[in-house]
Amino acid sequence: MSSIQGSDIKKVVVACDAGMGSSVLLTSQLKKTLSPHGVTVEHSAVDRIPDTADVVLCQAGLVARAKTRVPDTVVVGFQMFLGDPAFARLEQAIRNGETLAD
Amino acid sequence: MSTQQSSGRLTAVRSGVQRFGGFLASMVMPNIGAFIAWGIITALFIPDGWLPNEYLGQLVDPMIKFLLPLLIAYTGGTLVYEQRGGVVGAAATMGVIVSADIPMFLGAMAMGPLAAYLMKQFDRLVQPRIKAGFEMLVNNFSAGILAALLAILGAYVIGPVVRTIADALGAGVQFLIDMSLLPLVSIIVEPAKVLFLNNAINHGVFTPLGSARALAEGSAIEFLIEANPGPGLGILLACMLFGPKVSRATAPGAIVIHLFGGIHEIYFPYILAQPKLILAVIGGGMSGVATFMVMDAGLVSAASPGSIIALMAVTPPGGHLGVLAGVVAATIVSFVLASLLLGFGRSERKAAKEEKAKQAAAENQETTA
Repeated sequence: MSSIQGSDIKKVVVACDAGMGSSVLLTSQLKKTLSPHGVTVEHSAVDRIPDTADVVLCQAGLVARAKTRVPDTVVVGFQMFLGDPAFARLEQAIRNGETLAD
Repeated sequence: MSTQQSSGRLTAVRSGVQRFGGFLASMVMPNIGAFIAWGIITALFIPDGWLPNEYLGQLVDPMIKFLLPLLIAYTGGTLVYEQRGGVVGAAATMGVIVSADIPMFLGAMAMGPLAAYLMKQFDRLVQPRIKAGFEMLVNNFSAGILAALLAILGAYVIGPVVRTIADALGAGVQFLIDMSLLPLVSIIVEPAKVLFLNNAINHGVFTPLGSARALAEGSAIEFLIEANPGPGLGILLACMLFGPKVSRATAPGAIVIHLFGGIHEIYFPYILAQPKLILAVIGGGMSGVATFMVMDAGLVSAASPGSIIALMAVTPPGGHLGVLAGVVAATIVSFVLASLLLGFGRSERKAAKEEKAKQAAAENQETTA
């Protein structure tokens, strides 16, 4: 279990297996909603998530791998690539400065 | 307790397999651009290509035998030990490359990271002991000597071993094709894809296997097995028409991203949410492979991402009908099976009706009150 204050989130990393396909798709979507809050969004392969990530987003099936890579970072898993409630939860936490935990 | 333990172990095994497969794929995927360049040049300039040209046709052989394996080895080495690992990995891989007349992708995938790993260990041992001022001399020559030794070892020992393994794997695929059993591969491939092993399978297994056949025969069916967007498309279509409310709303957007953008990951969650749908993708995948086999379809090089546009772009002249037929067959079978499994939306309609009935009852109560 890790947690972070929404106001402390400066960098969100979207991870997928190769870091070239679905994570890029989500990165361009999340940039639209998150960059107004001063948050940068990057994509990466799940085994090479940068240590500077404040929050990691990845599909539920990859959460275990993300956690082994960055055990102390909040890893938010989602089910669907389109319209998953996890994205709204992340945005809300950032906008309202709420606590986000995994 | 024990079920918890075993499910924990399962997760560990799964992420272990994912990680290994992901490593194989991450050596190949950054180099897909070079594969596509080779595919374009091959499709255009070989004797039975679109624009046969003897001079430019000379590009075909060196690119697949040297450029592509070296890029894989360099990338693999870099993953293990940055640029220094990449350089040693690529140089060492030359040994396995000259040891065989097939494209040495498997050899490169083994040799690149291995050489980089040995370099890393050597440096860790030796670098702290180097006298000041001798760093550059020692570093350059240790890398050079290690690479030279590994290239020699590769040419005599590792190359022949990898060649035997590659031949055996290729013979296995050939056996399945000869016995018309290749569609059975979908029973493994389709469920593994949904567990996010899609890149590992396509780029870790089928790309090296297919490249050898593509060079020998002009095209390879191996490239089509995982990259076929048909099974996933069938699932998404079925979910759009008969799926739960949430997936009905998102499926149309997912179809565009899946079929044209080639990001297959987008349909996995629909199956993970309703695991019975796995039967539909297996059926779709099998029909697709069977159709490819009957129509003698194949691709010149790996199609990545698995978009219909990428597939068409690396189809050899005259092969488009066969490839399209397999994609369509897979789509139809997967769609029909998925629709059956979803009961043509019966349970969804039932839920909606019950909701309505409840609402009506509530309204009734209000009016009577």
